[in-house]
Amino acid sequence: MKLLFVVSTLALASLAPAQTVDEILAKNHEAKGGLAKLKAVQSMRVTGKMTIGPGMEAPAVIEQKRGEKVRLDITFQGMTLTPMVLNGSTGWKLMPIQGNPNPEALSPEEMKDAVEQADIDGFLVDYKTKGHTVEYLGKEKVEGTDAYKLKATLKGGDVRTVYIDTDSNLEIKIESKSTRRGAEVEGDTILGDYKEVDGLVIAHSIDAGQKGAPGRQVITITKVEINPAIDDARFMMPAKKEAPAAPAK
Amino acid sequence: MIHPRLASWRTLALTLIASSSFAQGVQVDSDTFGGLEARSIGPAVMSGRVSAIDAVPGERLTIYVGAASGGLWKSDDGGVRFKPVFDKHNPSIGDVRVDPRNPKTIWVGTGESWVRNSVSVGDGIYRSTDGGDNWQKLGLEKTERIARVAVDPADSAKVFACALGPLFNDSDERGVFVTKDAGKTWTKTLAGAPDAGCADLAIDPKDGKTVYAAIWQHRRKPDFFTSGGPKSGLFKSTDGGATWKRLAKGLPEGDLGRIAIAVSPAQTNVVYATVESRKTGLYKSEDGGESWALMSTAAVVAGRPFYFSRLVADPVNPNRVYKTSFGAGTSDDGGKTWSALSGNFHGDVHAVWVNPKNTDELLLGTDGGAYHSWDRGNRWLFVENLPLAQYYHVAVDMEFPFNVYGGLQDNNSWWGPSKTGGPIGNREWSPLSGGDGFWAFPDPTDEDLVYSEMQGGNVYRTSRKTGEQKDIKPSPAAGEPKYRFNWNTPLHLSATQKGVLYIGAQYLFRSSDRGESWQKISPDLTTNDPAKQRQNESGGLTRDNSTAENHTTIFAISESPKNPQVIWVGTDDGNLQVTRDGGKTWTNVAAGAGVPKGTWVSRVEASPFDEGTAFATFDGHMTGDMNTYVAKTTDFGKTWTSLATAETKGFAHVIKQDAVNPNLLFLGTETGLFLTIDGGKQWAQFTSGLPMVPVRDVVVHPRDHDLVLATHGRGLYVVDDITPLRALTPEILNSDFAFLPTRPGQLLIEGAGFGGTPWFGDHEFAGVSPENGAPIVYYSKRRHVVGDFKFEVRDASGRLLATVPATKRRGVNRILWSTREQAPRFAAGAGVIPSLGAFFGARAVAGKYTVTALKNKDTHKGEVTLVGDPRVSYSAADQALQAETTAKLFALVERLTYLVESMADLRDQAADRQAKLGPKDAVLAKRVGAFSAGLEAQRVALVAQQEGEGISGEEKLREELGMLYGNVNGYNGRPTKSQIDRMGALSRDLDAAWAKFGAVSKEMGLLNAELAKRKLDAMAPLGEEAWRKK
Repeated sequence: MKLLFVVSTLALASLAPAQTVDEILAKNHEAKGGLAKLKAVQSMRVTGKMTIGPGMEAPAVIEQKRGEKVRLDITFQGMTLTPMVLNGSTGWKLMPIQGNPNPEALSPEEMKDAVEQADIDGFLVDYKTKGHTVEYLGKEKVEGTDAYKLKATLKGGDVRTVYIDTDSNLEIKIESKSTRRGAEVEGDTILGDYKEVDGLVIAHSIDAGQKGAPGRQVITITKVEINPAIDDARFMMPAKKEAPAAPAK
Repeated sequence: MIHPRLASWRTLALTLIASSSFAQGVQVDSDTFGGLEARSIGPAVMSGRVSAIDAVPGERLTIYVGAASGGLWKSDDGGVRFKPVFDKHNPSIGDVRVDPRNPKTIWVGTGESWVRNSVSVGDGIYRSTDGGDNWQKLGLEKTERIARVAVDPADSAKVFACALGPLFNDSDERGVFVTKDAGKTWTKTLAGAPDAGCADLAIDPKDGKTVYAAIWQHRRKPDFFTSGGPKSGLFKSTDGGATWKRLAKGLPEGDLGRIAIAVSPAQTNVVYATVESRKTGLYKSEDGGESWALMSTAAVVAGRPFYFSRLVADPVNPNRVYKTSFGAGTSDDGGKTWSALSGNFHGDVHAVWVNPKNTDELLLGTDGGAYHSWDRGNRWLFVENLPLAQYYHVAVDMEFPFNVYGGLQDNNSWWGPSKTGGPIGNREWSPLSGGDGFWAFPDPTDEDLVYSEMQGGNVYRTSRKTGEQKDIKPSPAAGEPKYRFNWNTPLHLSATQKGVLYIGAQYLFRSSDRGESWQKISPDLTTNDPAKQRQNESGGLTRDNSTAENHTTIFAISESPKNPQVIWVGTDDGNLQVTRDGGKTWTNVAAGAGVPKGTWVSRVEASPFDEGTAFATFDGHMTGDMNTYVAKTTDFGKTWTSLATAETKGFAHVIKQDAVNPNLLFLGTETGLFLTIDGGKQWAQFTSGLPMVPVRDVVVHPRDHDLVLATHGRGLYVVDDITPLRALTPEILNSDFAFLPTRPGQLLIEGAGFGGTPWFGDHEFAGVSPENGAPIVYYSKRRHVVGDFKFEVRDASGRLLATVPATKRRGVNRILWSTREQAPRFAAGAGVIPSLGAFFGARAVAGKYTVTALKNKDTHKGEVTLVGDPRVSYSAADQALQAETTAKLFALVERLTYLVESMADLRDQAADRQAKLGPKDAVLAKRVGAFSAGLEAQRVALVAQQEGEGISGEEKLREELGMLYGNVNGYNGRPTKSQIDRMGALSRDLDAAWAKFGAVSKEMGLLNAELAKRKLDAMAPLGEEAWRKK
């Protein structure tokens, strides 16, 4: 029985046409709602909660808008932290929790993350025109599930290895390798709970970890808004605060 | 193959159930168990044997460390942190070599060439072109061991593989192979002989056509090692390996043994060689090997050539050369005189690397890990994060958390914790006894006393508290023959008679007094074949009698947990003996086991279910038989059934039957751990978190049900709680979703809060402890990709305590409920409340909770049980008071938040109305403005405001209440009187603040009346319900 099973699998494998990157990506785009719908997204607001440790949750909102605009807000103990905002070529953050009530410019490494996050389509869509390269490395199992393995080398040199479920054609895992001050930093993200929102199929569970560091961070998305009105002012760096006023009598 | 006539009804019934149900095509594979991940606990305090090193000089060194049986490790930060890069492949590294023209291209020849008795086996040559991320196997699979890889300095596609070949049998799969197409095809250019392979190879770094190779005649047997013979020799090619000539002028005459070669990169006509012979020494040639002169026979040059045979020429100074040995030595005068490398490092050196850009910088690979020196070998930094420990055995105790004990190849015997509140660092481990370690376990009647061993049957009893140690090795009485103890002498504890201890020489001994006296309870149980007792002559050209070749000895002992009169004994020369009368009479039952006669019995395990049932593994690898042998008997050994299948791989070290589910078996082999849930019909390799390393021992903790694995090359691993594995039935495996049973969640003492973590840097290995929380374990038939998948945890009243995201994998999944509720809502302030407990909600108490799986539209109900930490002593009343106080403080924090946010809300309403009033209402506008400002003044009196001023230390009611809440919430026992009193005081402050806020309603009423006249909305305080929804 088992032998027969193996033989038939081999036969199927050999009959299947060789996959190309573009074929796999075409199916992937289709599974996510189609290229036209993906490209019609002008802005997006994603609301969810971030598990930053066992039993430690923080509400989080990501706002994105075409034209290299992205903003991340996390609320913790009543305070709003804004670790990443990109407005075109300007990147800033506002982290009063670290003792500075004024915005600070993003470092080049943080800018790199912000620019990647600001790509509203994701790096696989139009990867060639974006200056990335993608190669197909064959099928590989992700936690026991067959997946297409794509190695994407981003314009800046960072590598993202994307695993696309051969059944649903949706991404189920992305491994990342980035350089920080010349050293490699590796991580992985498991994607799941895909749901349809206005014709787009979007992962609602994002489970990320960094190699060599304990614990994982899970983002559970509770609401996705496609093309909401987001004021450009949300992305502009706020003016410096004046010295805190003396408490009123 | 089962003999129902002989099987007990129970066994028969189980067999029938198993065979009928699993035939329905349920596929059990490695991914079935995927969510039960093995965690590596190290240790790395002693590391393990390093066989090869290469590095890429640069601003920061990129270092590759190849281990004897622990895989390949890479550091890209100069040696601070190492990561494994070869874990999906064979872990025995013969050589690692970076292409000199392309630092991203790495070649690995597998199969260590330092061929001691415990050496592992390789499976060919590999190449990576991306610095070790991805590997391609490029043939030479049957060479078993590749001693050297060398890349042509001018042509990256041309590579030499110096294949030592199989150690234990004749074979033509050895010699010098060359590829000209980067590994696609290989041609053998120097054959050696069926018993003589390539032991070293060096290319002239300035002229790739000049190549030197050493052919070594040698053989290892279970009882004997021989190095040397007429087929050994030193060869040279000047045409890139097409033709070879033997070099002899000035080299010793007669039989040669192992030869090491080094060409000086600075002056390539200078070639060094150590040549094992009747007069082993270092030879130097100044004419490219055409003639040689003996320079030295110093100990460092001549010591144990089969094990220490690496010569490294300094990249810059042609007169400087390094030689590995029991230590390591260096010569600055072309090999005439030698000085030992000094400083603190483990002996038995196998690899040296010299930085060509800074020749004072050295890397050293030893039996005890890797070291780094910046002063040419005077002082060393130990690499503290290479968990290469080569365990032979492991045992556990009953402390909480339990400790693990075991002995290691050339690295003592150690004990340490199976888990801690955080990372398990190197400093958590303590040594027991020295030398090579094997069995080690605590005395069940007094866990302070630990038995441990050194090679050749030296056994000790040590106090963990004081370190005092007593030798308890049995010695022959007058007239008795000398006792023959194996290198890895079996020591065994009775499962039924507390404190009864066994040790095996050729006889079996029993002690009931902790080794003070021993009773001989068997005749010689081995073949006692004098032809296999040659250890005194072992070694060949260089005598080598370390007890490693002691043979015709007992190797495995197992007393039946069902009947102490039944004892099983396995010997290294193929006897499998059983007594049913406590040792009076013995029967050799090996014949029916279906293995070649004389095959080493690597383990015998009496079944915990039935006295007639036992399992055995046999290991023929030292005669060249690499088959997996595992067998079961149910009739005291009269008949045996082989349990090996196509899925089982590697020569076998250990078999264990689970003590709860008789069909759950664990098999450890040279290539990893295999599991069966149907008594051995279908096996699957356990790969989750576990590299393909030799698994030498397996223990299931009897209380905690953790599976502990002793690997020979990667230390210890723990698979927490195997309860779910025991429950895997065909019905479950066929269902889309099923909850699996698990051990109760333990409300463990939580670690220290802020500042409780030490900051030791990134260079120390961090063993993994499990995260705190209550496990929820479930089975998914396929991966969950589309739609919701989460779990809701509720208490007995149905109140929702937590929503836990699901993991999505196929097979068994395990997630953790933190046992904590959501943290209270805090008002915005200037900073974080610096108490860890303030980051969380209340902790759930011991008891039962329902868990509901929400998987798209399906729901499944399960249960989680929480129990207390066995180490805590506070009463139920104390815990109840803590829970009650935490709940009160939680309510106070939120009541304050509601107050502060109500003030802000009303303030903003007032500001809004003020803005809407026109210039003719300036007086009213001013009054509304003042009302707004008054509210703001009330608000800032309650929360710290001094943000951005560094550490302000400002504390107002938010901070004081938050701190008190966090501190009470962070300790599960009785709150202090001071805390309870403080809660009363802060509660009164809060009441006062509410009263003050309430007092504004009069002015608000008056203002609203005025606003109404101007058709403006009335101001209204924020309702509690609206606030909750905010």
